[in-house]
Amino acid sequence: MAEVVRREVVYALTAIITVIMIADFFLAIPQVNAVAGELRTWATIISTMALTLGAVNIIRVHSRNVRKRVPGVWYHSAFLVFIFALVTLLGLTNIDNPSANPVYKWLFDHAYVSLGQTWYAITGFYIASAAYRAFRARNIDAALLLIAGIFVMLMNAPIGEVIWAQIPAIGRWFNDVGQVPAMRTFLIVAAFGLLAFGFRTLLGRERGFYGEVA
Amino acid sequence: MIVAGRQTAFVFLIVTVALFYIFLEMARRGRRIPIRTFPAIAAIPEAIGRCAEMGKPLLYTSGYAMETLSNPDQGPQTLASISILSHVARLAVKAGVKLYYFTCIRDSLPLVEETLRTAYLEEGKPEEFDPLQINYQAGQSPYLNAVLGFMQRERPAANILMGGFYYESVVMGEGGNTIGAMQIAGTANTHQMPFLIATCDYCLIAEELYAASANITQDPWVLGCLRGEDIMKIVILALLIVGFVISFTGTTFLIDVLKR
Amino acid sequence: MSQETIWDRLQRIDRRVIYWLLFILLILPFLRPLGLPISISPQSRSLLEGLRKLKEGDVVVINISSGVSAWPECLPSLVAVSKVLIQQKAKIIYWTSFVDGHMTFEKIVEKVPGFKGLTYGVDYVHLGFYTGAEPTVAQLATNIRAIFTTDYKGTPIDQLPIMKGVNSAKDVKMVISSDTGDYGDYYIRQWRIPYGVPFAEIGIAMLFSNYQPYWPEIVFGMTGGAKGGAELEKLIGEPGDATVTMDAINTSHLLVVVAVILANLGYAATRRRR
Repeated sequence: MAEVVRREVVYALTAIITVIMIADFFLAIPQVNAVAGELRTWATIISTMALTLGAVNIIRVHSRNVRKRVPGVWYHSAFLVFIFALVTLLGLTNIDNPSANPVYKWLFDHAYVSLGQTWYAITGFYIASAAYRAFRARNIDAALLLIAGIFVMLMNAPIGEVIWAQIPAIGRWFNDVGQVPAMRTFLIVAAFGLLAFGFRTLLGRERGFYGEVA
Repeated sequence: MIVAGRQTAFVFLIVTVALFYIFLEMARRGRRIPIRTFPAIAAIPEAIGRCAEMGKPLLYTSGYAMETLSNPDQGPQTLASISILSHVARLAVKAGVKLYYFTCIRDSLPLVEETLRTAYLEEGKPEEFDPLQINYQAGQSPYLNAVLGFMQRERPAANILMGGFYYESVVMGEGGNTIGAMQIAGTANTHQMPFLIATCDYCLIAEELYAASANITQDPWVLGCLRGEDIMKIVILALLIVGFVISFTGTTFLIDVLKR
Repeated sequence: MSQETIWDRLQRIDRRVIYWLLFILLILPFLRPLGLPISISPQSRSLLEGLRKLKEGDVVVINISSGVSAWPECLPSLVAVSKVLIQQKAKIIYWTSFVDGHMTFEKIVEKVPGFKGLTYGVDYVHLGFYTGAEPTVAQLATNIRAIFTTDYKGTPIDQLPIMKGVNSAKDVKMVISSDTGDYGDYYIRQWRIPYGVPFAEIGIAMLFSNYQPYWPEIVFGMTGGAKGGAELEKLIGEPGDATVTMDAINTSHLLVVVAVILANLGYAATRRRR
């Protein structure tokens, strides 16, 4: 009984908030706009609270690994918990401007930035190997895609113009005339898919949203 | 009463919702709405079977999705992914395959835990569920790092990448290829579709991710919505053709109506 | 036993060879720059033209939704745009949806010499971090003070002269978003369409095609990745980090194209055999 009530409350809440937000967008009714504004502020607050949810989960999982001395894992978890605590404490030393703490700034500038950019840079290598492996002209469609792809790639690099002066113009044609209509199609189609998804969620028929098994 | 500049959009919204309702009523009353099989969804049992034969785990991940469910473009993709997860989880439990879920979307954690726990319960194996199957990392790079590390250590036989992906899509896809895993993907992020299509064996593109639950459950509600969507696409196409033809006459009537 | 020919080997080059070649070709241009000319895309040109229409005192919002990992792609454009805004004597409000956004702001201030002659809080300000995706962006359009009560240093917003009379999209002349995700779409939907605030996008290269359908009517200008940054640097006559990066982009793109062509030559040569 409690489970049914819980689910019905969730459905009702979702429906009411959706109707208010849609009404706010389309109707110029000051009272509705005010309520919608308030709901948006609440959404921001809840979203901020979700940050804490992630932090709690990390501490919970990794503390358990350390406590139980999970083989092969516990020392990594211990290091993570240590770093988590260190950065939190350093940040709290100057809560208004944590960057004023030189150790905090050093950790960000020399550890966080470097590691983040390294991971982002790895994408280039993987794209190169994926392109080499996957782009085969197995049929006419694939061949046309390959040719267009080569022109667009060389359009984005100044060396394309050096190889042949017309490459940027042809690449731009593929981009502007070939690709943009396709992107617009995706936008429209995805929007309808989203609308249908929202409609089903509103009516409580999108099971994954409510944690039910499909 | 309706804000200027949004009247046509309002009409479109009402017509679309009305179509959804009409077709879902028709579907509920027994009218058959056929839907083509998505190869990616049809390949899920094959992927799980591969894991069972090789004695390897299954990796499932929902992408970066801006680390939150409240993102209007990414949140629904994550929710659609969780819908598919429930289906995958049931099949995996039935086959005795261990499923590991990786995410960096903090507010999806309760949903995912509920979904997996329910799947184990429905299959009569609640004691086999371990919350440590769900791995959360804060941040896109740590999450990617964790997935790649898992792939290298545990060598899953199949990877399912469904959701809102960003740059991690090509890294995960290629990483999965390195270990020889079967890969099934799905995203509505247009900038990542080419990478997933190039690196994965099967891929759901754009709205197929949202329609996947129709494919799985054959739920008349979902099928009815899909039919409504298709009708609206035909309407848009008709407007495009009419607009194209009218444009030769030099009139801007249709554009003015659509901008109203 | 069948012999593997050169054509078979061309299709199966070890990915480690490709990685090493790519690594070497990325390093080489930094040791010996190529200095090839950069062509300007119409999207970058229209971005600069739009910025040049700003008048003294116009308030511009720059939303930083790109992290430090995207600095090579987004930071050069942000620096160039900030330089132009200072030249136009506009008032600049920065805010960010990334937890490390304040680092990007501090890097911009460090790289733009023009900030030295300006007063923080009067000519420019960084209001800090916000979370909540599109609902928050929508709320910022109607009531900035509902989201930000202080700047990122903790100074109450009403004590900042730049924020006097600025509380919603109606008070802002332009919004520019630097993002690696969907925040550009949010500003289009919540600032540009309802309130008509001119919008420009500074994005990573992957997102360039995403925003092209909106250009030029909805998005008046945009840049994509390091190339976009290099184009802006060339347009304003101040080569910077992106211009240096272009040589590396040249060599890496060329390697990928050559590798793909070789693989396809091998495939075509062995196709009949199959």
